Amino acid sequence: MQPLTLSKVAVRCGILALVLFVVVVIALKFGAVPVSLYGLTKDLVGVLIGRSSNISSEYGMIIREIRLPRIALGIFVGASLSVAGTSFQALLRNPLADPYVLGVSYGAAVGSVLALIVEPHLALRPEIAAVFTPLGGFFGATLTIAAVYLLGRYHGDIDSKTLLLSGVIVGSFFSAMILLLITMLPSSSTRGVVYWLMGDLSTPMPPILGWVLRTGFFAGFALIYLTASDLNLLLAGEKEAMHLGVDVKKVQLVVYLAASALTGLAVSVSGSIGYVGLIVPHVMRMIFGTDYRMLLPASAFGGAIAVVIADTMARTVAAPSELGVGAVTAIVGAPLFIYLLRRRLA
Amino acid sequence: MSATAFLLLLLTTASPVQTRNQTSSAPPLREVTDETGRAVRLPAQIGRIVSLAPSLTETVYALGLQDKLVGDTEYCDYPADAAKKHKVGGAINPNMEEIAALKPDVVLVVKSLNRLETVRALEQLGIPVYSTDPHSVIGVIESMKRLSDVLGAGNAGAKLERTLRERLAEIQTKLKDSPPKRVFFVVWTEPLQSIGKRTFIADLLTYCGATSVVESQQDWPKFSLEETVRLEPEYLVFATNHSDNVKNEVEALAVKPGWSAMKAIKYRKIAVVSDAINRPGPRIVDAVEELARQIHPEVFAEKN
Amino acid sequence: MNADVRLSVEQVSYAYSPNPSQAPIFTLEATSFQVKPGEIVAVLGPNASGKSTVLRLVAGALEPLSGRILLNGAETHLMEPRARAQKIAMVQQESQLLFPAKVWEFVLQGRHPHGKSLRFENSDDVTIATNALRQVGADHLADRWMDEISGGEKQRVILARALAQQPVLLLLDEPTLHLDIGAQVDFLHTLKKLTSVNRYAVVIVTHELNLAGEYADQVVLMQKGKCLRVGTPASVYQRDLLEQVFQTRLTVEQRVNGRPKVSVLESSE
Repeated sequence: MQPLTLSKVAVRCGILALVLFVVVVIALKFGAVPVSLYGLTKDLVGVLIGRSSNISSEYGMIIREIRLPRIALGIFVGASLSVAGTSFQALLRNPLADPYVLGVSYGAAVGSVLALIVEPHLALRPEIAAVFTPLGGFFGATLTIAAVYLLGRYHGDIDSKTLLLSGVIVGSFFSAMILLLITMLPSSSTRGVVYWLMGDLSTPMPPILGWVLRTGFFAGFALIYLTASDLNLLLAGEKEAMHLGVDVKKVQLVVYLAASALTGLAVSVSGSIGYVGLIVPHVMRMIFGTDYRMLLPASAFGGAIAVVIADTMARTVAAPSELGVGAVTAIVGAPLFIYLLRRRLA
Repeated sequence: MSATAFLLLLLTTASPVQTRNQTSSAPPLREVTDETGRAVRLPAQIGRIVSLAPSLTETVYALGLQDKLVGDTEYCDYPADAAKKHKVGGAINPNMEEIAALKPDVVLVVKSLNRLETVRALEQLGIPVYSTDPHSVIGVIESMKRLSDVLGAGNAGAKLERTLRERLAEIQTKLKDSPPKRVFFVVWTEPLQSIGKRTFIADLLTYCGATSVVESQQDWPKFSLEETVRLEPEYLVFATNHSDNVKNEVEALAVKPGWSAMKAIKYRKIAVVSDAINRPGPRIVDAVEELARQIHPEVFAEKN
Repeated sequence: MNADVRLSVEQVSYAYSPNPSQAPIFTLEATSFQVKPGEIVAVLGPNASGKSTVLRLVAGALEPLSGRILLNGAETHLMEPRARAQKIAMVQQESQLLFPAKVWEFVLQGRHPHGKSLRFENSDDVTIATNALRQVGADHLADRWMDEISGGEKQRVILARALAQQPVLLLLDEPTLHLDIGAQVDFLHTLKKLTSVNRYAVVIVTHELNLAGEYADQVVLMQKGKCLRVGTPASVYQRDLLEQVFQTRLTVEQRVNGRPKVSVLESSE
């Protein structure tokens, strides 16, 4: 009998962090401009020290302003989606749950597309205009979270079965709305929207958004992690968990809100990147087991690693053209998912 | 553990407010307003241009500035030399790193094609972006003249404008006495889709001695076959570089039920214009002439 | 209240409305009984007699319409979930496990109510869980997967998890339902022994007349939401009463040891 201890979790997370670091360094090497490992290290040290002028001005700007922020974005989007997927799988007691099953991503997409349509008609200050589309996305996400919750209650309380039903219905409604809205867009915007819907990390964004994403991730993760023990019990069954002292309704509400917020944030800035939130939890389960005290941080790292790798492939495989990162995760993710499914059934 | 610390440090120390350094030693800057109303700060001399739209690439060549064009999109194929320039990706999704690595003095975009996010992203990187936004044939000509001034080729621009206006006037004179033909500009066949009243192409049609039968305020209205037959266009206009494909397509449509009821299909009153009609650039008058020739053959046959 | 009594169910009733416009349905009418430490009380009756409702009320999962349920003087449904789980443990039919789990992991879950919400188990927890497994005679199963073990073994493991909670009140909902007769006897025998050793107060819901007769110290006989009689098996197992409740002809044999035996009559006898 060897129960999980905090130090075990910490050590394993340390290893995962190391893997992530290696992946980041490799990812930094790929791009339009060639980068030597020596030059790269120099640049990174320069960044750490605080943007000292030691950075080779030729490529430093590109690394600093384009490549690194993009990788950082990938890390937090990947981590958010994986943690959300892992959480929903416990909340809904369904191993097929992914971050989008409760409709948040479609609501965010509708919000973003509406913002795109409406923006030219508003005279916005530049600082607001720059974040208007993601803001619309997050507004749409919030609306969806509220709607799904209100519709998904049973006798006034949150309930995992009706929540799932409500999420699927609301999601499909918004999904249809997106198609309708796209036909209303001028065709030039349509192409941009399609790219975004597929999941796209290629457009650098205002730093404030990156900050919101980072902070939101840490806050959301902390909230969910505090329920990790309760989630382990919830997996055994709601009634059992209740008799073992878990405040089931409170835990379900907290996890629902936090995981949906993580999804909403990720989707608002980068569109719906698929398969990450579905597959990474399962892979991490295969490696680390089903204890959520380990699985939640493992999923975070796993998601970050997966998205950084996928995004690196997206921007190198067909250079200078870019595949959407969502296209890469779909192409790799679908067969991988089938493989995992078969293993599970075997 | 130090790896984790490094990573966390790296990723969390970036604050929301970033300082923007001017990496080059400041050459004199001037401020212009582009066609979307944005203020753009450009160096006094433009030495390096990146174009993110095929029409703008053609304009750059027409102004004789091709030596300064350091990068364009994969779709920039005219003139032939443009295809040889360094590619930075697509118009919708250009590669930021490629553009930045080219160190352009200005990046040219057109509002109807390129994304606002692209513009914002480039601005954030400190790269000036100049956007054009023409909505009519005259608008295109004036836009190109304005661009020539911005790029420091005012003389070439003035000459281009003069030439284009003269040719346009010539065509108008020829068509003076011919009543405009009613045409249906085909964007897509299944479903049938055309262009609305407020589009650039609708404006262009008026210079060709034609008028679009479509009265819609939408940009890309869809039509049922019935409605289109009822509108009784005299000509169907297709825009493509592959006229053979169109001929085959029309032949295939002619034997389909419903389509044969359309007079234009039955009598093969088809006009095919090159893709230049879709590019608001220097070849716009070529497109006008091409179309005018096809739907008013009698006017132009005399000339020969 | 008698200081010796641990659980006191006092005139408890319950009703619920399936939807707000309908009149409430009474699932339980005023019921009373008491349980002392070391005592097993069986709540007995046919289907839909209200016995599960009794258990859920005792567990604090439902709020009584009238009356009180006191555990050591405190009302169960008012207790905070965590505090309640430190005192009351439930053994019931398990939901399907979503992901595979080992027996020891499962039993360790019983330690969850003790300590903060997010907790990592310490060596004390391990000791208590190991003891619990040993007490039910399942310590050899510790490293096996939950879905690999037999029904009887599983029921004992679930009991071990309940014991790991270190409760003062043990509630069991038809624990022998899917077990064969040998496993049933094994289970109840173990339960009785542990109840006596650890001085639990035990309430067990069942419809098995003879098992209740053999192992319970008191029987609460229910029918259609009404509590018909409370008392020792010998006093409750009266033939007329049982025939009326279970709607079948039977004989009751009152044996010397005070444990009655019930047999169903063939229609020809």
